[in-house]
Amino acid sequence: MSDLKELQHEFLNYLLQKPSSITNNIISDQQLSAQGRLDMYAHGYRLRLKEAIETDYEQLHAYLGDETFDRLMDHYIDLTLSHHPSLRYYSQGLPTHLAEIEPWKETPELAEIASIEKAFCDSFDSADCIAASVQDLSEIDPNSWPNLKVKFHDSVQLLTLEYNSFQIWQALSDEEVPPTRAKDSTTWLIWRSDLISNYVALAEAELSALNTMLAGGDFSALCEVLLDHYEESETPQQAVFLLQEWLSSQMICNIAITND
Amino acid sequence: MTRPFLGFGLGLRTEHYQFVLDNKPDVDWFEILSENYMVPGGKPLDFLDKIRDEYPMVMHGVSLSIGSTDPLDMDYLNGLKQLIHRVEPHWLSDHLCWTSVDHTNSHDLLPLPYNEKTIEHIVSRISQVQDFLGRQILIENLSSYVTYNNSEMTEWQFLNEIARRADCLVLLDINNIFVSAHNHSFDPLHYIQGIDSDRVMQFHLAGHSYSDKLIIDTHDHDVCDPVWDLYEQALKRFGAVSTMIERDDDIPEFDILRAELAVAEKIAAKTLSVAELKISHAKASGVA
Ligand SMILES: [Fe+2]
Repeated sequence: MSDLKELQHEFLNYLLQKPSSITNNIISDQQLSAQGRLDMYAHGYRLRLKEAIETDYEQLHAYLGDETFDRLMDHYIDLTLSHHPSLRYYSQGLPTHLAEIEPWKETPELAEIASIEKAFCDSFDSADCIAASVQDLSEIDPNSWPNLKVKFHDSVQLLTLEYNSFQIWQALSDEEVPPTRAKDSTTWLIWRSDLISNYVALAEAELSALNTMLAGGDFSALCEVLLDHYEESETPQQAVFLLQEWLSSQMICNIAITND
Repeated sequence: MTRPFLGFGLGLRTEHYQFVLDNKPDVDWFEILSENYMVPGGKPLDFLDKIRDEYPMVMHGVSLSIGSTDPLDMDYLNGLKQLIHRVEPHWLSDHLCWTSVDHTNSHDLLPLPYNEKTIEHIVSRISQVQDFLGRQILIENLSSYVTYNNSEMTEWQFLNEIARRADCLVLLDINNIFVSAHNHSFDPLHYIQGIDSDRVMQFHLAGHSYSDKLIIDTHDHDVCDPVWDLYEQALKRFGAVSTMIERDDDIPEFDILRAELAVAEKIAAKTLSVAELKISHAKASGVA
């Protein structure tokens, strides 16, 4: 099928605004020229990708305004092909685009706002699980606790931001005037429970604890990392407290005792 | 052939999820967009399961890219198979087009040249897909804006030939026939008269919009009068065929779409007998 392959390749080039010979394969008539007809597709291509980006980055759009956001979308589309059959995944690279490429990277809150919106998108349709409960934890023999590990819900994400971008995002979501950018290093936890996405700013102790457990650490590792934040006598109690918090927030799918 | 007849359906859209669950509106069936549910979990699948409990469903995809010269996307097909398992649809459909090449997705339904070589290519791919899924698929005619100079036959000859050789079924989009007829200056009735009757399993109806010279398949308007007329002609030719309205943009309240669907029911009631319009849920697609 080399003819057809060549034809499709040239058609795609036209959509991507690259040099293309496809006009030679299309009939021009009184109604419209080959180019005019192909432009319907080229126009549609860009429009469809823009719709996908707009859906996923509503607050970034509000922050930048129509004109600049449109320029951003054009820039992203020029540099980004779609390799997934679903449009749902096309805009996943936008936070990186904003963080790494001029002129966007000069305005660091843009990448951060985008990464917040991406995190919510990812949380929205991540895999389901039946959440483990505090009851499940209480049924585990305390002697086995040092080897206890947890599997978090796929929606659980940590987002470390250097600026007050979450406040900016929050204000935009509430249709209020966003604050101006300011340094504010905070890590946010995003997760989904009962099909609704949640977010909370993390204190340092909980952040270290979550990082440890997300990396596959067990209960004894959890207690150890908490030593940096609490008196030794307090750490087991604090560790249990955190586990219970995560369980009642439906962040954990599974508790297991592993002897490795 | 006795064709299963699901009655009159609508495309399931996110805007209407809650309304459908709360009100259980009187619609015979829903068509879902497969790609919207090929995600790991969360709300889309939750609503899907709940609504499936209440209504018959068919699946409609846009990314099979049956006419592409890239290899078939097995990840996509596996995802589709999983979704079929979950939904147990009466049937599933995609378009007679290509959407991707060089592993790049255009996210558009792009037309093919209508010639023998393309037929052979597509027949072999449909057969592979039907073997993999263990069932027949429906393929749908497009709205198109270009004609290739290496096309050697009409679109309906092309569609018939593929359906016969691949032993697949047909989803006839009445609006797309109208749009393409305008864009390529042919008589839409010739299309309706030219399509093999026994393979047509479903109709799509939709609205469109006008650009300067061409009609664009935008699915953002009501179904227009000439398309209703064409629908009546299609019913006369094919008999009772499961009918639904596609609305993808400027989506109105559910009741407005339901009222539009009632127009289709009225035309069918006027054109066909009560016996012909009796709903039958017999499975359409055995193992291919
Ligand atoms: Fe359609």
